[in-house]
Amino acid sequence: MLYPDTVESEVLVHKPWFVATLFAAVLVVFLLFNLTGTSFGELMRPVIGDPGTSGLYGRFAIAFAIAVMFALNVVLIGFAPLRLQIAIVWLELLILFLAFFETFHLSLPFIEEKLPFMITQGLVTTIYVSAISIIIASAIAVLGAVAKLSNNGFAYAIASFYTSFFRGLPLLMQVYLIYLGLPQLGFVIDAVPAGILALSLCYGAYMTEIFRSGIQSIDRGQWEASRSMGFGFGVTMRKIILPQALPVIIPPTGNQFISMLKDSSLVSVIGVWELMFLARTLGQKTFQHMEMLVSAAMLYWILSICLELVQSRIERHYARSKVR
Amino acid sequence: MTSFARLATVAASLAVVLVAIPANAGAVLDRVMAAKTLKVATDANWAPQSFMNDKNELDGFDVDVAKNVGQRLGVKVEFVTPGWDIITAGKWAGRWDVDVGSMTPSKERAKIFDFPAVYYYTPAVVAVHKDSKATKFSDLDGKVVGTTATSTFEAYAKQDLTLDASGAPPFKYEFKPKEVKSYANSTTAFDDLRLGDGTRLDVVVSSLPSVRDAIKAGYPIKQLGEPVFYEPLAIAIEHGDKEFSDKIADAIKDMKADGTLSKLSVKWYGIDYTVVK
Repeated sequence: MLYPDTVESEVLVHKPWFVATLFAAVLVVFLLFNLTGTSFGELMRPVIGDPGTSGLYGRFAIAFAIAVMFALNVVLIGFAPLRLQIAIVWLELLILFLAFFETFHLSLPFIEEKLPFMITQGLVTTIYVSAISIIIASAIAVLGAVAKLSNNGFAYAIASFYTSFFRGLPLLMQVYLIYLGLPQLGFVIDAVPAGILALSLCYGAYMTEIFRSGIQSIDRGQWEASRSMGFGFGVTMRKIILPQALPVIIPPTGNQFISMLKDSSLVSVIGVWELMFLARTLGQKTFQHMEMLVSAAMLYWILSICLELVQSRIERHYARSKVR
Repeated sequence: MTSFARLATVAASLAVVLVAIPANAGAVLDRVMAAKTLKVATDANWAPQSFMNDKNELDGFDVDVAKNVGQRLGVKVEFVTPGWDIITAGKWAGRWDVDVGSMTPSKERAKIFDFPAVYYYTPAVVAVHKDSKATKFSDLDGKVVGTTATSTFEAYAKQDLTLDASGAPPFKYEFKPKEVKSYANSTTAFDDLRLGDGTRLDVVVSSLPSVRDAIKAGYPIKQLGEPVFYEPLAIAIEHGDKEFSDKIADAIKDMKADGTLSKLSVKWYGIDYTVVK
């Protein structure tokens, strides 16, 4: 929450003008689409007669019904306590998504048959490739941030060249460059290490900047006070600066982890059998790739949710000092 | 360690990497025989040539041919699945020994590859949406054509195809597209064509087997006319190992002689593609 105060005011979604505007907007949007041919049109049959011939009246009636349902839903949710609101909205959006996937007419037995292999081969590969890359990238980021903040021109030049280069190239291109380029130098690298290297270097560059800005966000007075007490660089960093910088660093770093998890799909182009590769390959023969893509999407999403939960736990840990 | 010393170490290790390793003749065969494994590169997304079967293993015509070649060489076969563009880029650096992936031999490709044996021919056909009004090839002039990137089908659509391998049947360009869209694989092109006649694509040029498969899977498309060209397809290895090349050529010759190859073709395609009609 931005700033929870104690001033009581009427809930926005209960103000008549807001509800009216919402109602009108939804009505207009759904008037633009002709929904008479859909299952919702079928549902409205008692009111509008045969959906196919109901014409403008049918269209209006359907849009009106949807707008009423939508506005009523929003007003009712407004009465619920915060946690319940969040849960209801999540549930509703989830149901909408499932309804969307339902329209693909996916073959569930096929998904069931392939899912174990997708998990044991694909998901496991995705997880270990991203996990190793995350560890290496974090190490690079600490080094890079220190180098970028140092007074040593040599270190600064290399670190800034590195971040500029690896943030400036598309990750997909880096994967190709490392996989195809390194053998030109006589250094033959397998697909998995090449992918890990590309991911680590790319994300190391982004995280270098995150770590640097986090460290720089600490007031210089902290450094001065620490130095005046006779602390060296290492102790100042470990005991004074990093503990204060971490709450700033963690949210964007969590973002990077989540995005790395999904970008690990790019290593599928060099033939690593991870989740994305299997999603593209398994259903190909029988033209059931939509099934595989949707299942892989769900697996990625579940993994990301796990990471989100971990991140929010860590954030709560570091926000202890701010709780009243 | 100071950050300077750390950087110096990194620079030194990079310099070590810069020393190139040269390859020598006969090396590939020696490597294959020593390891008792033939590392075969093939696409995992190119049914029915090579794809993942129900048991989540690679299967298909190319895969069977590769296994058979391995058998005749007396070694195990191991498959790797890099992208097609990575295989055709060459400079394999010993990551795999041979490509059994229905590669079309051409003068350009012969600069980096040897083609020990042409093992079958694929008729290339033109597919249109089933609502299409086109009845002959000239109706397709000025249409939008979809093909697989860096394939012979793309070259044909762009009127830039050279089939200069020995035994390649002659062909002519039957129509002149307005635009050629290239896709990562043929399925995506069929996916765009199925959206409707002319929605994203009017025409797909692809192999007869994949068009037949798509139709069998319920795609609303149809084949137009006769095959536009016959594409010879070969096993590819890198230059520089004559003995290895001969071994593979012999293996394929044996497979042709004892009918194994025809049998495999009929198994996977229902038609013997190992001879040109």
